[in-house]
This record gives sequence, structure tokens and C-alpha cells, in this order.
Amino acid sequence: MVTIKGLREGLLINFGEGLWLSQLRELESKLQSNPRFFRGGRVTLNVHRLTLSPDDIRRAQTLLNQHGVTLQAVLAQDIHTVTNVIELGLPTRLSEAEAPRDSSAPGRPAKDAQALPDSTPRMPRQSQIRSTSHNSSVGADAGIAQDASRAIGQVEGSDGLLVRRRVRSGQVLRHPGHIVVLGDVNPGSQLIAGGDIVVWGKLHGSVHAGALGDTGATICALEFAPSLIRIADATRASRPGEKRTKPARPEMALIEDHEIMIVGWQAR
Amino acid sequence: MESVVITITSGKGGVGKTTCAANIGSALGMLGKRVVLIDGDIGLRNLDIVMGLENRIVYDAVDFIEGRCRLKQALIRDKRAPELYLMPTAQTRDKSAINADQMVRLCDEMRGDFDYIIIDSPAGIEQGFHTCLAPANRCLVVTNPEVSSVRDADRVIGLIEAAEKGPAQLVINRIVAARVKRQEMLSTDDITEVLSTEIIGVVPEDENILIASNRGHPIVMNGKSPAALAFQDIARRITGEDIPLQPLRASGSILQRLFGRA
Repeated sequence: MVTIKGLREGLLINFGEGLWLSQLRELESKLQSNPRFFRGGRVTLNVHRLTLSPDDIRRAQTLLNQHGVTLQAVLAQDIHTVTNVIELGLPTRLSEAEAPRDSSAPGRPAKDAQALPDSTPRMPRQSQIRSTSHNSSVGADAGIAQDASRAIGQVEGSDGLLVRRRVRSGQVLRHPGHIVVLGDVNPGSQLIAGGDIVVWGKLHGSVHAGALGDTGATICALEFAPSLIRIADATRASRPGEKRTKPARPEMALIEDHEIMIVGWQAR
Repeated sequence: MESVVITITSGKGGVGKTTCAANIGSALGMLGKRVVLIDGDIGLRNLDIVMGLENRIVYDAVDFIEGRCRLKQALIRDKRAPELYLMPTAQTRDKSAINADQMVRLCDEMRGDFDYIIIDSPAGIEQGFHTCLAPANRCLVVTNPEVSSVRDADRVIGLIEAAEKGPAQLVINRIVAARVKRQEMLSTDDITEVLSTEIIGVVPEDENILIASNRGHPIVMNGKSPAALAFQDIARRITGEDIPLQPLRASGSILQRLFGRA
């Protein structure tokens, strides 16, 4: 049984006790059915107690590469597997900050499992922030960044990624569960979620909810102006020709009759 | 005092990084600080021209790093300030000539001898930028008040944060108050709304800058022009002085203002 989790650095793919080749086939079908979710991503494999030959590992690497995914590390408990991974020149663990939490202690909030962007913004140290009185939004962002530096990201056992900062141009957040951003999502950035996407701020980037096939996924934002909207396999360009009125109202995108609809937010 | 390494960069090219580096460095020098300007744009050497020191280059940073000269031989003294130096770069090499470790070492060699080490970084997100970012204690990102420049600044600010060199500070260059007023140009507020990055200075468009750069005489050195004053303010803010940002005034001559031209 293959499961996928979000990590501070890319995705973590967990392998169970079954046969390696059949689990690889399972992974392959996941890669094939959700190409947009995986393409361009970086993954770490956790093979637990499986004993793998160099060929076994290479097979996984080739499979991932074929789908545009980079294998960045292989975590293993079996000593032979570890040796083989090292011989292939791959890391056998994530750095301290990126380490997945021990799954034997579920429920405790993960300290540093904030899933992370492919072009990973770690949070800046705050020592150099100057306080400016002329513009309040500068100060506000400093506060957000400070919160994020505590890196409270993802809670093990839940399936969401909470990001407390602005997502900037060129940054990609990829997570198999839901993505919640407390802050603005700037033009030129990308959010890719297996589940829903909620932006408590302005959404100007490109978004893909239900990227693992869930057509029931939704996207909502306080100011909804993404450059490109995808839900599952449906795509919709930004609303052409529509004048943005201020103040913006919260809106939500969802699939109705196989098409992406954008509706004003209404409590349900 | 330990040196502060300030990397001046941008996402987009042509926004005025080199002008900013030359003027901010000169202004700090004129405040009596010990300053060295490093030209980090290997292969596209410019800073020496803007500083008017082109004819005095014998050795450059690449020569020093590759062991062909001593540090003092590569440094060019600018006599227009008490202690202002230029470390030129090679024109005949490319970005691979200096890697990040070597740039850190170069700065380490000079730490202690200078108050400010200012690196004029290449634009963009490629290797040359990362090389210049490596030794930075502070980063200034230069942007023009237009959408594509701000978009690229956003990208670079993200990379600076990712490299744990943040928070970056923003220099808004070439702003024209009259055009902002007519909503032809982004205002400082528009830019802050997207970048939420502290603004360390707003430099008005000034036609004298082009002349000054061509003559190799940074505008800050002879000036009461609005751009010169803006660069002096940036330098003083860098030293820790609390100088509020000036509200934008329509720049240019009275006639220009009357006729609404920028």
C-alpha cells in the first residue's frame, strides 16, 4: 500500500510491507492518473523495512524521472537497503528540519513538517526588519513571517498544509491534502493540492485543487483572481474581461456539470 | 565594527542596480564610512564605468581569487571620498569564474577593513545571483514602478527569504510623481501591496543620472538633485538613521510641472 504525504521539502511516499514490484506498479498508476500533481515535484521514498537491491531502487528512480519527478532521498531501516541507497549516491535521510515525524506518535502537532514548496522559502530571520510607520502592511507581513518562522505547518494525522505567509512569484506549494494560506498568493506562484484550497487573502497565482482526481474539491479566497484555475481535470482561464470591483467579495470555485463555476461565497 | 555585506540585486535587468550600487556606496563613503564596492556582474563589467574608474583597472576580483595578485593590488581607491574602494570584476570571463564559496572568501578577506562591503549583483535567478547572495548580511532589491519589474522583484525576494538572507529591503527607482498621480505608474503603496517588503528608499526619475553615469561621476557626489538626495537618504538609513520616506513631489522644472510632463 503506497501513501503520499506532504513534507517541508516536497512529497513523502510511504511504502508498506507488500512486494516491491507490485507497490511500484501502484505508484506508477498514481503517477499516471495525476500527472499535473506530480510533475516538477521532488519526492522522498520511505521504504521502511523493505530489503531492496540497487536495481530495485534504480527502478523507482527511473519510474519517477519518467513522470518528471525528482527522487531526493530514500529512507530505509534495512541495513542492506541503506547501503545500496548510499552506493547510488542518494541521501538516506532528510536534514533535521525536513525529517518526517515518527509515525508511532500520531496526533502530536508536527513541529517542522511544514510541507514545502519546491523552491522552498524557509522563513527569514527577523532581526533585520526595520519598523516603518508609513505603511501598515509592511508591519503586518513582518508579523506573519514571524509566525511562520515557528514553522507550524502540518499536523500529522490531518491532511492539510497551513501556510502563514505570502506566497511569492515562482514559488510552488504542493500538498496531497488541503492547502490553506493565511496571506496573499501573488501572481506567478502556484498552489497544487490533492484536496481543497483556501486563501485567506488575495489569490492571484495559479491554482489546482483536487489534483489527485477529486472533482468535489473547491477553491476559495477572500479576493478571487487567480491567473488559471484547475479542479481535478477541468481547466478554466481567469475570467476574461471582467472588471474587478472593489471591495472584492469572497468567492469560490467548484465543478458543476463538468465545468468550473465561480460563485460568490455563501455560508452553507 | 564588523563589516556589513550588502548585496544589491533585482529580478529584472536594467532597473538601475549598478546606478544604485555606485550611488549608495559613494554616499556611504561621503558619510565617512569605509566602503568597498564589488562588481559581482562578471563578464558584464559596468560598475567601474559608472564610477569613472575604468582606466585604473590593472587586476580584478578574478585575478585575486585565482592567485594572480594580492587583494590590495586589485582594489582601486576612489579619492572622491575618504575611504571608498572598487573591486572590479573581469570582463573577459563569465559567471562561473567565481563561485559562492569564493565570493564568501573574498568578502571575508575584507571584513574588518571596511564598514560596508557592497556587492553589485547580476539580475535574475541564475548562478551569478546566488554567488553574490552567499556572503550577504543584507539585501537590497531594486525595482522600477512597473508591473513586470515588481513581479520579478517578488520572485527574487522569495529566493532571498529561501536562502535565509531576508528580509530584503526595497529600492524603488525611477519613479515619476506626476505619472503616479495620473495612475500611469505604480505607486509605492501599489508596490507594497504586492511585495510587503520594507522600502528603504524611493529614487525619482532624474535625467541627470544618465549624464552622470556616462561621465563616471555618480550623481550623489555633486548633488542637490532629487535623485542625489534620495541616495543620500538611503545611505543614512543603511547606517541606522531614522529618516522617514519623503512624500513624492512632482519632480522636474516648474515648466515641466505646469505642462504635466514628466
